[in-house]
Amino acid sequence: MIEENFSPEESLQLIQSMINKTKRGMSDNGIYFLVWGWLTFIACIGQFLLKHIYKYEKHYQVWWLIVVGIVFSIYFSIKEEKSRKVRTYISDSMKYLWIGMGITYFVLSMILTKIGWSSEVFPFFIMLYGLGTFVSGCIIQFRSLIVGGILAWALAIGSVYADYDYQILFGAAAILISYIIPAYLLRNKNKKANLNLQESNV
Amino acid sequence: MFKELDPILHSQLRLAVMSLLISVKEAEFTFLKEKTNSTAGNLSVQIQKLKEAGYIYIVKQFKDNYPQTTCKITLEGIKAFEKYVKDLQVYLGSGKK
Repeated sequence: MIEENFSPEESLQLIQSMINKTKRGMSDNGIYFLVWGWLTFIACIGQFLLKHIYKYEKHYQVWWLIVVGIVFSIYFSIKEEKSRKVRTYISDSMKYLWIGMGITYFVLSMILTKIGWSSEVFPFFIMLYGLGTFVSGCIIQFRSLIVGGILAWALAIGSVYADYDYQILFGAAAILISYIIPAYLLRNKNKKANLNLQESNV
Repeated sequence: MFKELDPILHSQLRLAVMSLLISVKEAEFTFLKEKTNSTAGNLSVQIQKLKEAGYIYIVKQFKDNYPQTTCKITLEGIKAFEKYVKDLQVYLGSGKK
């Protein structure tokens, strides 16, 4: 870039192009949604099969799968931190939102372990999925996540009318709609954005 | 009107750096260098000028045994940038009349 006098029009163009450069690649949270989406989806389906089909008493043990997600998230975030060149308000907001969501799930599980898990509690978990994805979608301005969040809330209401076993399937559906599908759409969007970026750099 | 534009900001590379920093929380020197397509020498000089004007903070530290320079816009920098954009709009608006 050469230092020279330039017109106000060029100034505005420069400001705009630089701001656009920071927008690209900042919404790359797709990997977390994919990993957590598939893990929790498998856990829901697994719990349903163990409880409903195999009548296994300790069907909830399948939720130990989330330890894999925690280990992955810690490993991946440390790796990302090392190679990170920029911190944006968006990436920080997403990080704190999901750390907060994780802690909320943990606290809720602790409370329920004390007061007893019953068929009334599953809708609350689905409702929280909705909150996380809706807010994430609003932060990164990604419509599929916003819609996914709203649908998860609808499923939370719908699950109230189902038996506990089938509430687990409502949970799986909520995860599919609000995590997994938007995660693939987000990944495609990021791939396209990166391709455009490479083309504009040629 | 044109002469009233902040001379610290009315310079391509410094304006580019400020435009990047206004939209992020903080950025490493290498990020700024990559996005502005500038040389390390020129960028160093320009961010130093921005620092002297009080528009940015520069934090130098070591990360995994490598020196790392991180830049962050100051409140004064944000105000100056907003004023610069307003002045530009006034200038462009008056040109259209």
